[in-house]
Amino acid sequence: MLTVTDLHVSYGGIRALKGVSLTVNQGEIVTIIGANGAGKSTLLNTISGFLKPIAGELRYRDKVLPRKPDRVVKAGICHVPEGRLVFANLSVEDNLLMGAYLRHDRDGMAADMEKVFTLFPRLKERLAQSAGTLSGGEQQMLAMGRALMTNGDLVLMDEPSLGLAPLLVQTVFDIIREIRALGKTILLVEQNAYKALDVADRAYILEQGHIVREGAAAAIKADPAVRAAYLGTDSKAGG
Amino acid sequence: MTQFFQQLINGLSIGSVYAMMAVGYSLVYSIMNFSNFAHGGVIMLGAYFGFFSMTLIKLPFAAAFGLAAVGTAALAVLIERIAYKPLRDRKAPFLYFIISAMGASIFLENIVIATIGPTFRTYPQVFSRTPISIGGLSIGRLDLIMFGVSALCLVALVLFIERTKTGKAIRAASYNMKAAALMGVDTDRVVMTVFAIGGLLAGVAGVFFGMKYTVYPQIGNITLKSFVAAVFGGLGSLPGAVLGSVILGTLETFVAGYLSSQFRDLIAFVILIGVLVFRPTGIMGKPSEDKA
Repeated sequence: MLTVTDLHVSYGGIRALKGVSLTVNQGEIVTIIGANGAGKSTLLNTISGFLKPIAGELRYRDKVLPRKPDRVVKAGICHVPEGRLVFANLSVEDNLLMGAYLRHDRDGMAADMEKVFTLFPRLKERLAQSAGTLSGGEQQMLAMGRALMTNGDLVLMDEPSLGLAPLLVQTVFDIIREIRALGKTILLVEQNAYKALDVADRAYILEQGHIVREGAAAAIKADPAVRAAYLGTDSKAGG
Repeated sequence: MTQFFQQLINGLSIGSVYAMMAVGYSLVYSIMNFSNFAHGGVIMLGAYFGFFSMTLIKLPFAAAFGLAAVGTAALAVLIERIAYKPLRDRKAPFLYFIISAMGASIFLENIVIATIGPTFRTYPQVFSRTPISIGGLSIGRLDLIMFGVSALCLVALVLFIERTKTGKAIRAASYNMKAAALMGVDTDRVVMTVFAIGGLLAGVAGVFFGMKYTVYPQIGNITLKSFVAAVFGGLGSLPGAVLGSVILGTLETFVAGYLSSQFRDLIAFVILIGVLVFRPTGIMGKPSEDKA
């Protein structure tokens, strides 16, 4: 579905990605784990069209991916950004409608709105409230709901559990599973490697701009070297 | 008492013209986080566009008015393309935008001096100078029209921002440009729309300014007062820009009427400094980390 080939990107004068290749197949949850500054967000921001690659190719559904953010959305990729970035000055409802900015299919929009409410009943209760008054967890739900309203088939998620209370972290990962059940494909970037590998089918480990490991999430999770480097020695830590 | 109401009406009238200029500063600031000092040059050229449409092309007033507004809208978009877009594409720091804006402003002023000349020009008389008297107050026809047209333009702007899809995209982008782009908003188009709206209102304001006073290349400096009004109201907030402008216009008129017109501009800048010291976000401004 998404193929990234030999991608080189420089960000802030630093070569952040040095020849990254990966694929995401329809219906999968693929996670990219790695330390802070490994280039995870740079990769998502490049896919979304915010950063221009120096070299390499991005293809989505067998077509070269456009290099402008709004065209990427149109092509069917949505992105739940790090830090959520909900429109605090707009109501919850207007935030969700912004997600449907490019759509004109009123019936489809109404149906997707219902799906979002089923997934996040809290949002329905707070439709008229301004998004800035929501709690961190609710804002994360709104950011996800807003992305779903674009009706993109591939959902990029950048650190969805960051800064959330431990109880909510589990909820977020449960929701990621439910979003896949809606027929979406997910590319997940996470620092919480333990939980990310739990939910994902396949995983890539990114280290200083290079993919150093790839494989089935379960195999990577079981690998002692990976456990030592990314999961901590205590496998129950989860954190 | 009559004098009080008389001054109040004059103040509201000039304040409403300030408001049309101030929303131009505020709209750009809300989206791009910098003060577009080239806006004064656009207003100045609006005054010239209207003047020459009436004197050279001999267009009727309404047509000259429309031509000036369309001309300044196009000019504002052109300035954005040349002076700001390359910086946006390179994600330059805000300071660079201000320097570029000042450069554009100096360029506009000097190109007018070099081509049209530095002389003061007076608009042909369109409205009779005999005031209308309403309940013992005599109100200038031009003042009345200025107030009416400005109020109409501002209401139209609010409806556009609040009710239309593009308006909602502008509000979303003003909160966060990246997030708006992630929704499929073409942010280049949002920026262009914002400059076009600011330019349109600048044209209307420029023509009124030229009619009320005279037309000359440095007229853009006066428009700095509308920037003061925008800061006073809270940069980035449209209601703030309008409120700040009306307050400033009224205050000014009272100072000129009761004290001396020498003190008029002094008041404007004392307000600016006072606001920056005691309430940097203005009356209704969004809290800002780096106001540039």
